Amino acid sequence: MAEEGVGALLRGKLPDAVLTVEPFDGTLGRVTFAPSHALEVFRAVRDDLGFAHLSFVGGIDWVAEREVVYLLWSDERKAYLLLSTRLDAKDAHVESATPLWPSANWHEREAWEMVDITFDHHPDLRHLLMPDGYAFHPLLRSFKLHEPEELEVKTRRV
Amino acid sequence: MSTPATPVVAAAPAVPAIPPSPTEPAITEPGVPFVEIEGLRSQQFIPAAKEALLSLLAEQGQGKVIRPVFNWAGRNSLFPLHWGLACCAIEFASAFGARWDAERFGVVPRSSPRQCDLLIVNGTVTWKVAHKLITLYEQMPEPKWVIAMGNCATGGGPFRTAYSVVPGVDKLVPVDVYIAGCPPRPEALLDGILKLEELIRERRE
Repeated sequence: MAEEGVGALLRGKLPDAVLTVEPFDGTLGRVTFAPSHALEVFRAVRDDLGFAHLSFVGGIDWVAEREVVYLLWSDERKAYLLLSTRLDAKDAHVESATPLWPSANWHEREAWEMVDITFDHHPDLRHLLMPDGYAFHPLLRSFKLHEPEELEVKTRRV
Repeated sequence: MSTPATPVVAAAPAVPAIPPSPTEPAITEPGVPFVEIEGLRSQQFIPAAKEALLSLLAEQGQGKVIRPVFNWAGRNSLFPLHWGLACCAIEFASAFGARWDAERFGVVPRSSPRQCDLLIVNGTVTWKVAHKLITLYEQMPEPKWVIAMGNCATGGGPFRTAYSVVPGVDKLVPVDVYIAGCPPRPEALLDGILKLEELIRERRE
């Protein structure tokens, strides 16, 4: 099957970047990569492997580290590819995918405001769902449910 | 050859003049000239009427004459802002439909805050939309009232501890009437509007 070759192709092209390749289950494959080689992986996946459509970017908080997940679709291969990378929680930043896939723009803004992952070279990294000046990252596990009086939110733009 | 044109239409018979009635005087010359009437009005009657009104006001107090008239007019023409936020807006809409027909109380939703004196907050207010609610409230002319419709607008409802929801719109604007329910039925909304009319009836300021 052609889908089985994707991980091997990527590993052969970027041996340092690709960490693990999980076998394809149906049409979904999963590849984890090192965050320092993010841009090379993005270019290889889009230009050489033909995954032209980025449908989702999300962030996960695993307390000690944070994970960024990219869901890609290839019309030529008729297959999904799940890219993921793990970042240190103390300094969670990764290269932005927006210059390559413009659809990543709002997804990365949401991942930044919800789980505090900084996307380098993002063109417009500001709040998406919360007002400007919101001081919390509410989907972090350290964010507790609270009585509303403890939450001070600026309601007016300054 | 040519013959003078003969008139086709005969001349109309002359209308007999109505003789003046012996009981009514003929309107030939006014008894009092118009200028004189105007002068009399501006010099005598208007100051007299003004003095009478001022003495009445001083005697009765302004709150007993002017204020009830304003309150009566205001409470019978409450114009709420046509602004739907969540599922309470469905009940809000049906309250103005054929079955409940809130217009019989003079309540007509308007689309511009400049034409409104009642802000019905019907739904969950998030922090993202909070400054827009304040802007709409500030755009309404005085005097103005606010109804918090439903549990979300009253105190946050089931989303009270959520990170993105304002726990009650009284954090943002002064609220006059709270309506409980999730969502409240149109009868409850009408009851809240009537309660607000009672408030306006008692207004003294």
